[in-house]
Amino acid sequence: MHKKIFQSSFLTVFLVLIATIALIMGILFHFFEVQIQTELENEAGYLSQAIEKEGIRFFDGFKKQTNRVTLIDADGKVLFDSDAEAEKLDNHADREEINEALKNGTGKSIRYSQTLTEKTVNYAVKLSNNSILRISTTQYTVITVLLGMLQPILIVLVVALILTLVLSLKVSKAIIEPINQLDLESPENNVAYEELTPLLRKLAEQNQTIKEQLEDAYKKQVEFNLITGNMSEGFLLIDKDASILTYNSAALELFGITPPVNGNVLAICRAKDFRDTISNALAGAKAENIIMREECCYNMIANPVFEKKEVIGAVIIILDITEREKRETLRREFTANVSHELKTPLTSISGFAELMKEGDVSEDMVVDFSASIYEEAQRLITLVTDIIKISELDGKSIPFQSETIDLYELSEEIINRLKGQAEKRNITLNLIGDKTQIIGVRKILDEMFYNLLDNAIKYNKENGTVDFIINKAENDVTVWVRDTGIGIPIFHQSRVFERFYRVDKSHSKQIGGTGLGLAIVKHGAIYHHAETRLESVEGKGTTVTIRFGRESFVGDE
Amino acid sequence: MRNKFDRQLSQLNTELITMGALCEEAIINAVKYLTDSDEHSRDACLAADSQIDEKERDIEIFCIKLLLQQQPVAGDLRVVSAALKMISDMERIGDQASDIVEIAPYVVKSGIEGSTHIRDMADATIKMVSESVESFVKMDMDIAYQVMEHDNLVDELFDKVKDELIKSIAENGRNAEALIDLLMIAKYFERIGDHAENIAEWVVYSITGKHKNPSCYQEQDMRR
Repeated sequence: MHKKIFQSSFLTVFLVLIATIALIMGILFHFFEVQIQTELENEAGYLSQAIEKEGIRFFDGFKKQTNRVTLIDADGKVLFDSDAEAEKLDNHADREEINEALKNGTGKSIRYSQTLTEKTVNYAVKLSNNSILRISTTQYTVITVLLGMLQPILIVLVVALILTLVLSLKVSKAIIEPINQLDLESPENNVAYEELTPLLRKLAEQNQTIKEQLEDAYKKQVEFNLITGNMSEGFLLIDKDASILTYNSAALELFGITPPVNGNVLAICRAKDFRDTISNALAGAKAENIIMREECCYNMIANPVFEKKEVIGAVIIILDITEREKRETLRREFTANVSHELKTPLTSISGFAELMKEGDVSEDMVVDFSASIYEEAQRLITLVTDIIKISELDGKSIPFQSETIDLYELSEEIINRLKGQAEKRNITLNLIGDKTQIIGVRKILDEMFYNLLDNAIKYNKENGTVDFIINKAENDVTVWVRDTGIGIPIFHQSRVFERFYRVDKSHSKQIGGTGLGLAIVKHGAIYHHAETRLESVEGKGTTVTIRFGRESFVGDE
Repeated sequence: MRNKFDRQLSQLNTELITMGALCEEAIINAVKYLTDSDEHSRDACLAADSQIDEKERDIEIFCIKLLLQQQPVAGDLRVVSAALKMISDMERIGDQASDIVEIAPYVVKSGIEGSTHIRDMADATIKMVSESVESFVKMDMDIAYQVMEHDNLVDELFDKVKDELIKSIAENGRNAEALIDLLMIAKYFERIGDHAENIAEWVVYSITGKHKNPSCYQEQDMRR
């Protein structure tokens, strides 16, 4: 704007200057011309009177003054010329001013020299004897004058130009200054130019709108971040070139990458399933897939995003289904195990029964077989009872009666029950501790400790010992069951609490048991909000620790 | 114009990642077939190989189109030329994986248990391939240098496997053919390792503009 104002003011002043010079020159020149004309007319008047009086003799001794004087007779023949010899001049009858004078009494003409630098002004008067008197004067033309004055004119022009330049600059600056000083943050407070007021008002309105919209957008952004940031599901937004536009922290966690993340989504994961899902989604179809990645299992759902029926990107949600999948696997294993465990004794029973059905069995054998059938049936019953127990604990469907129980008395009773079994293998059972009361379910606690002690005896060595230690601390009760048995290899330690899990895969009947013992212990402990811990050294022995916390604690009365 | 070029470069990147992932798939499945003789892995490996071949052609054409139409300079030119070199290494990895799959049945049929070393070699090679792809995806020089170092391990393992096989043949010539096949498989692993190393080198090149880690270069010379 500054430039524009400067340019236009400068140009205006400059043009006006040139026009003024031209006009002044024109007027002055016209004025001079008229003056010369009058001078010539006057001189012609005097001379004609003199010639009328004295005739051609007047020119004898005529001294030339500034102007050229010529006398021509009516035929055009030159009788006298002040500048040249009359005889040498040709006939003047065809000259414009002569012709005019012959016709009207006076005539004038202007003739330019070939270079246009000079012009001759002629004035002719018809005398009474029909001869013509002509007076001419030579004068410089406008161009010559202009050329002659070129230097001063140029100097004037340059000076004027510089002045204009400076002034224009100052003026345009002065005009622009208030506009530059406008406070655009609060446009309505300005008092610069009246003409700008509507514009400024509009600006103020728009400022307000923009502010509101920005606030709105910011709020939405915060909301969006809150939602995606707190999602446990991974969230990714990609464009149609599979570049990541947005992601949430959960997505990064699931794939174990550190921010910043940008560029291609394949940089996150390039497994085949992942790639296929993305390319399907970008082709416009909803895609879902399960991705296995380093022991983890993700469910990936990709939805294409459409705009005007064209895919412009995709939204990808990633769910961590590792836990679910693990539970599913456990459940499947459990079912398989149950069926297997149930089938083994049943097959034996069926086999023995079939043999007896054939009838070709001696009396003694029948007794033997019946004993075996009985044994297997007992096994089945134990198994089913265990399964029922664990399902009860699982489903929590049956409400158990909680009561105050003395752990010492309870364990004493259990140890009595197991004494016979222990004596067979010459194993010493020690009960260490004092009377300690906790709140719990007698049936479950009985089950738990029975199983623990039973295991400690079963998996012990000949002449081993089993210690049952009860310790009451300030606000918890801990029970240790320690044996000097065969121990559990490190590899299996984390899994022995699983249902039907056995260190000895052969499911050997030698030791017996259903494989549910420790599972019942674990679930019983969970029921009582107690912690279970297992420490074992292979060949040395195993210690199972159960710590009852605040929930089961009964203080000293 | 630049915008379009950027998009094309990102497309090239996507294609290269995909091709790298295919290489990983090919070698993983080849090893799986070798150990479990699972027909499904065999098919997966061969499918991956043919996809790799296809990708190589596509990427090659794409790169040349980029060079001609966009005339990239400096970093962009490095990226495109490194891509051109990388795809041929990747293609070789795919071919060698499918070669392993072709030989594997003879080895499996003969019932020789490969030594632990060849299994280590397989694992190390898989690791090298995925790390080289990883270094490309993340444009991470550290991982690239790791791959280069890893190659020495694979080379050592190859020597061990070779010695073992020589010993077995000397002791018991009956299974000689299968043992030789096993040696070839070991050699393929070693070659795949070299190609993975090359990929890592091209990654370093496309980042720094310098090809080959100088120390690595000397070692290679000595080995030759």
